[in-house]
Amino acid sequence: MANRTSAAQRPNGSTQGKICQFKLVLLGESAVGKSSLVLRFVKGQFHEYQESTIGAAFLTQTVCLDDTTVKFEIWDTAGQERYHSLAPMYYRGAQAAIVVYDITNQDTFARAKTWVKELQRQASPNIVIALAGNKQDLANKRMVEYEEAQAHAEENGLLFMETSAKTAMNVNDIFLAIAKKLPKNEQTTGPGGSGQGRRLVEGDSGAKAAGNCCK
Amino acid sequence: MSATLLKNSELQFGATTFFAKEHKGETCGSNGLPLTPNSIIIYGKAQKLKLFKHPNLCTYLDIIRGKHERTVIVSQYCGVPLSNYLNKEEFSFEDITKIAYQIFLALNYIHEKKIVHRSLSTENILVQEKNNIKLFNYGLFYMTDNGKLVSFPIIQLIYAAPEVYLDGPNGNLSNPKVDVWSAGIVLAELVLNKPLWQSLKVGQRIRKVLSLVQGNTSIFERIAREHNCYEKYLSVPDDLKQVIEDCLNIMPCDRPTVDTVLKNELFAHFKTVNQTNRSKICEPFEQFTIEELYHWWQLAGGDVLLELKKQGLIRSSPPILSLPQMVLIDGSILGQERNPATLYDSRIIQMPLEGLYQRFEHIPLNCYYPLIHSKSEILSKADDSSYNAEKLPLVIREKDPEHQFHRVILLRRLLHGYPYTRDLIIAESIKDIPPLLRGQIWAALLNVRGDYQQEYIKIDKETPTATDRQIEVDIPRCHQYNELLSSSEGHRKLKRILKAWIYKNSQYVYWQGLDSLTAPFLFLNFNDEAKAFACLSNFIPKYLHNFFLRDNSAIIQEYLSKFSQLIAFQDPVLANHLESINFIPELFAIPWFLTMFSHVFPLHKIFHLWDKLILGDSSFPLHVGLSILTQLRETLLASGFNECILLFSDLPEVDMEQCVNFSLDTYSTTPKSITARTQQSEKSPYIATMDIPVQDLNKEKFPRISVDDVVSLIRDDNDRAIIVDIRNPTHYARSSVKGSINIPCSSITFGEINIENVGIHSSLLKKNKDKIVVVIGSEEANLDIFPKFLIHCHIPKVCVLHGGFNVLLPITPTVLIQNQI
Repeated sequence: MANRTSAAQRPNGSTQGKICQFKLVLLGESAVGKSSLVLRFVKGQFHEYQESTIGAAFLTQTVCLDDTTVKFEIWDTAGQERYHSLAPMYYRGAQAAIVVYDITNQDTFARAKTWVKELQRQASPNIVIALAGNKQDLANKRMVEYEEAQAHAEENGLLFMETSAKTAMNVNDIFLAIAKKLPKNEQTTGPGGSGQGRRLVEGDSGAKAAGNCCK
Repeated sequence: MSATLLKNSELQFGATTFFAKEHKGETCGSNGLPLTPNSIIIYGKAQKLKLFKHPNLCTYLDIIRGKHERTVIVSQYCGVPLSNYLNKEEFSFEDITKIAYQIFLALNYIHEKKIVHRSLSTENILVQEKNNIKLFNYGLFYMTDNGKLVSFPIIQLIYAAPEVYLDGPNGNLSNPKVDVWSAGIVLAELVLNKPLWQSLKVGQRIRKVLSLVQGNTSIFERIAREHNCYEKYLSVPDDLKQVIEDCLNIMPCDRPTVDTVLKNELFAHFKTVNQTNRSKICEPFEQFTIEELYHWWQLAGGDVLLELKKQGLIRSSPPILSLPQMVLIDGSILGQERNPATLYDSRIIQMPLEGLYQRFEHIPLNCYYPLIHSKSEILSKADDSSYNAEKLPLVIREKDPEHQFHRVILLRRLLHGYPYTRDLIIAESIKDIPPLLRGQIWAALLNVRGDYQQEYIKIDKETPTATDRQIEVDIPRCHQYNELLSSSEGHRKLKRILKAWIYKNSQYVYWQGLDSLTAPFLFLNFNDEAKAFACLSNFIPKYLHNFFLRDNSAIIQEYLSKFSQLIAFQDPVLANHLESINFIPELFAIPWFLTMFSHVFPLHKIFHLWDKLILGDSSFPLHVGLSILTQLRETLLASGFNECILLFSDLPEVDMEQCVNFSLDTYSTTPKSITARTQQSEKSPYIATMDIPVQDLNKEKFPRISVDDVVSLIRDDNDRAIIVDIRNPTHYARSSVKGSINIPCSSITFGEINIENVGIHSSLLKKNKDKIVVVIGSEEANLDIFPKFLIHCHIPKVCVLHGGFNVLLPITPTVLIQNQI
């Protein structure tokens, strides 16, 4: 816990180059592996029985991209349809989103498509959206064809990868791909903690307002 | 002296052990989750056996999982195996008939429960005094899913019916008639007084049994002739002989059922005896049960695995020997097979009870019969000798055998009298709840009554619904570290209870989190699904009224607003900090309250939390939330938004006893109207007096207090409150609350956050720690700014009288000083 926090807050070499922070949200049907993807990305771990997420969870992770340090503030949301009303509170103001589906379940892919639509309609106009077909390790039980998902991604201008939180396949890659695509000229702050705090407050006051009106 | 009460020949237990089948090759099921280990499946299935109570059956007590799929079964074990008698003492035909009757009674009981013994033999029939018998190890075939979960055959050579052999070594034939055959062989051995085909090798024995299939003369007669006992055979009374011959019928369809055998005239006279026993008006008071004895034995240091190790049933081999000799590139492993001969060990190890006897030796006899309703002066002196552990920490009390002895004896007695003894149960539960009886005590505290079982049976738990998919993906993620909840039986039961609850409460829907909420009840009532359901059904309206509505936002909003206000009331420093970093409860506390913390804590912590929660009202959880924040206070105060939210994404260790005690503390010192909600199910007088729209509630950082609470604060104990009147001095001079101070709002500059700004009364407020600061005014605007100012100045316990000064006028002229001009 403490290690992760300090690693996330004070990345090595943070004094050189730019530091960018991005709010990223994970969306998708429940039990497709959103929390597992985040856990793999942030802590390098995988829990077979990853418990369900109620409301949302928050984690951070920093990646280095050439001379830029990109810090992700990740909101991992609850998948159950009923928690949908909370979702805008988390994707409001997000610069990136990963919409996750389970390649062994066609319904979760349909749900992913509707999430993409909702984001395109209601989230920030410049949001970078990635589509992740998770549970690639179960490819022998595949119900969603790679080509089908890829075609959908291309049509909608999404990043697309099939991932596996279990084997770690493409997990870091999808976050890196998002980091590459995000504009690095804005929100450059110094390494101090105060700048981070300020920006988050802005982001969240917006989120709270959204939460109030949608409820 | 009184340990003699414990020394009962029937209160003995022993253990056997075997290995469950290991999963070969594929390790993942079709849902991508790892396959449930077979030992866990067995663990879940075997729980049902603990319910079996019959004088002719050994009671199952426990199932323990060891390393590498080892399973240990702990069961009552008393008396001497019937096999020990063969070739030695001879039973009379009357004795044999009595034994036969009891065997069939026991078999009938398990057959009614849809269980087939399949390994009945003289080894696992235990003889007690007066030729009473008990069957032992009768659940092996059932718990291993008809033998599918183990890789050894469940069969007793000689005793197995011919069709069992024909079914092959991996067969799982589960026709109850196989037990009838085995009973026939047992009786034949008893009558002939010798074990059959003892000198033969395994293969020859099987051949002997199979050879019985041929020929059409009496099988019993052929067996007798083969063993040179024809004369004995002839001397057997006809009715007994006939029963044995009926049992030894080659064709299962011609063999009678146990039920039919019991109707035989041979056993008629036992039935009448039995009935006279039953005519007793009431059963003698049970001193304690074997389950309790086993529980205390464990607390007193008894360790089944250790005993098995001592006796050589569990051997540890150096870890290097368990490494595979070769691993192929495709992942298959060679040279790691366990010796098949070690998979099942037929030995039974009796557990030594001397340690427990010694430990309990000094407990006086009257402690076994605690007085409940009358405590006379004379007897109360004797009570002083009773064990006093109340000062010890809860976790120690729960592990203290003697304390648990007294608690279990007393509370079981009280539970016998439920619902009439409910008040006494509550009073005792405030002290602590013995873990062994927690399920029953919770049910009593939650007011579970009547025919909850009938009610549960009536509910449709099977018809597929749209919610099923969600339930199915949530259950394999719900408290899966727990053996019971991760077993297939546990999954099945949890699903049924959830479906039943949704069916029964059609105004509500399944929200993720309902699974976590149900888990503690299922764990505690694993063998009584209906009770788990009844507990859940009574728990939700009390603590989570309307939380599971399709649109629950108003309920959650109000709850979280009250939570914020409670933080501001009890800990303004923390409240200010959290507000300044925008760390709102919406971001972290929804899973806390929606699941009453069952989503954030492991089961053992939930138990200690709910032990108290169940005794409180629906505002108690708010205090628990505050208490968690308080434990993490230093970290929170030193952290920004990110660190705070990270802290809660992975909640650090919380000391539960401390947490609960702190919650009780704030719970008892907070006026009830502070936490009263409109959306609670209990009728509360505060709700009528304080009807605050949710939108307004959200804006207010401080709580309101009802006029009733203020009046009682003023009247009962004037020292508990500081009444701050913020009206202008003219109004104050005209009429004011006795002992109140006047800080006219108009005199203060709010721009600078400094308590000195309030003037002469600032030191009184600054020193305040425990007193409740009730702000009384008449103008709404001031009633917002002033208390906010106080909170920003870190003044604790600030609240506003709801309705303003004027509400005091009609209700209580006595608390006011009126200066008529």
